[in-house]
Amino acid sequence: MTQVVLALVLGALFAIGTYLVLRRDVVRVVWGVAIMSQAANVYLVTMGGLVGRAPVLGHDAEATTCAAAGAAGEAGSAAAGCVTDPLVQALVLTAIVIGFGTTAFALVLTYRVYEEHGTIDLDGLGEVVR
Amino acid sequence: MAVAGSQVAVAPLLVPLATAVAVLVVGFSWRLQVGVSVAGVRGYALAVAVLFDRVAGGGTLVYQVSGWPAPFGITLVADALSTFMLGLAATVAVAAVLFSVRAVDPFGQGLSYHALLHFMLVGVTGSFLTGDLFNLFVWFEVMLMASYVLVVFYSGPEQTRAALQYVVLNLIGSAVMLLAIGGLYAVTGTLNMADVARRLADPGAFGIDPAPVLGLSALLFAVFALKAGLVPFHFWVPPAYRAAPPPVAAVLAGVVKKVGVYAIVRLYFTVFAAATLPVDLPGVSAVAGDSVLAFYGPVVFVLAAASILLGGVAAVAQDDVEGLLAYSSIGQVGFIVLPLAIGAAVPAVRQVAVLATLVYTVNHGVAKALLFLTSGAIFDAVGSVRFSDLGGLAERAPVLSVCFLVGGLSLVGVPPLVGFLGKLYVFDALARGRATLALAVALIGAVLTIAYVTRAWNRGFWGPPLAGEVDVSREEVAILVALAVVVVVLGVGAEPLVRAADAASAAALDRGAYVSAVLGGGGT
Repeated sequence: MTQVVLALVLGALFAIGTYLVLRRDVVRVVWGVAIMSQAANVYLVTMGGLVGRAPVLGHDAEATTCAAAGAAGEAGSAAAGCVTDPLVQALVLTAIVIGFGTTAFALVLTYRVYEEHGTIDLDGLGEVVR
Repeated sequence: MAVAGSQVAVAPLLVPLATAVAVLVVGFSWRLQVGVSVAGVRGYALAVAVLFDRVAGGGTLVYQVSGWPAPFGITLVADALSTFMLGLAATVAVAAVLFSVRAVDPFGQGLSYHALLHFMLVGVTGSFLTGDLFNLFVWFEVMLMASYVLVVFYSGPEQTRAALQYVVLNLIGSAVMLLAIGGLYAVTGTLNMADVARRLADPGAFGIDPAPVLGLSALLFAVFALKAGLVPFHFWVPPAYRAAPPPVAAVLAGVVKKVGVYAIVRLYFTVFAAATLPVDLPGVSAVAGDSVLAFYGPVVFVLAAASILLGGVAAVAQDDVEGLLAYSSIGQVGFIVLPLAIGAAVPAVRQVAVLATLVYTVNHGVAKALLFLTSGAIFDAVGSVRFSDLGGLAERAPVLSVCFLVGGLSLVGVPPLVGFLGKLYVFDALARGRATLALAVALIGAVLTIAYVTRAWNRGFWGPPLAGEVDVSREEVAILVALAVVVVVLGVGAEPLVRAADAASAAALDRGAYVSAVLGGGGT
């Protein structure tokens, strides 16, 4: 059930992101790109598997990841206290930081577009004659 | 054979990183920045030369970051293919940095221009050296982030508009790349490229199902095609190349585009080709086989053919030198990727095809960098790059014109320039693969190349000289002459280049050697 809900949420997020990227207002475009990158981050987290406890070292000295437990053939791996895959969470942290930098730059670029063109309406940017 | 403890593999990564930081530290003085930057790029070229020498003599070098063993840690792999691409990057980077010192105004240079250029080099070097899928994403982002700022560097109306398009398209591309990498991790259970190749070759032993790899690799291919500027992902190329400062355009066209091509060769020919899965597109008989490459043969052919034709036709119609060079880049990338399509479809010619791609990559990288720098010199001399403002430059700036001619003839493929070798190998690979349609497209592309180079030469360099000052900077021309000499030397003394490209293409296709270098015996 969780998988279906998460899949629908991801689809909705990408749809919203695509809709916003196709707007005329540059700020909405930046919003759309930000939502799309965050949707990709949510997708990355789901790729780690949807069962298991939080991967915090120290809660359980002998935790195994649910993927390893599943490969070893244990049944009821969620009840066995397996830990969800921490690798994808590290990937998402990296992606969030990269997204933070690029979103900041995109916003400053938006302001610069406004300063140079006097408008943030994409139809109003027009062709530039050299 | 992998050599453990090989720090020299990291040297090309550390040198531009240290240079970028040092440039920022001495940010109070333009002269110090220039000194550090020039010394840094020379150090980078030296590090690449040393690494190239070590790998050519001793085999693949593997470096495990922080000592974490493969496949858990991040692996940096310096094999013949990586060092070949690094050699191209170093050549173009040295020329671009030296040219920037003269071409970009000192106030602009002082505003972290050199640091950004070196950060972009770090991203490019990391992309060429990494052996980990997500690490590839990170280095792509480093390279892109620096290039975003460099494209919009002059911050005028045209630059902001071009940068907006460039940034939005690449941010969407990054999100798509994350999707593909996440999916590939879920399917194969690992991010290390060598480990992915090993698991795909023997899926039963690792308990994975390789069927989704085709679709996910196609998603990843779209991102690499965006970086390389293949049709239909080419829309950001002409505005960005027009807007960027000429040395930045030279590095973008000469090196950053090639990162996309390198990623296609590395990931599709070395890693994903390990999978054996039935490929079948209903209704399209050309796509059928038992390897992922059976899908990519026709797909890459369509993209390459479209790029060659669209790039060539649009280049003929351009009114200014930079637009012509930008559309020409789109067409030339089609030429670079066309042999890969034939190599993917016909396994017997695969090595010849990758060899052709690599030799043409060097040709385009160096010649296009030379042409972009020449257009920058023309802009500094005349004040405009529109053909309506140029004319008769061959009389008034002869050395500059010769440099442009060398670059243009190299694109056309006239011996004894390196472009002749590129075209020769491409046509050879196509002929060996019996790809008549591809040969026809390549011929049309070659004719279009002749058309736009001739048009540029006639409009800009022959004809009645137009009124106005032509003030050519001697230092800029000196750099252009050096780069033109490189183009000639690579063509005349082609043996080392072809030998290096041959070793690189063998390394690209020798999956067993790559996997055993990283996993079977690779240490810290």
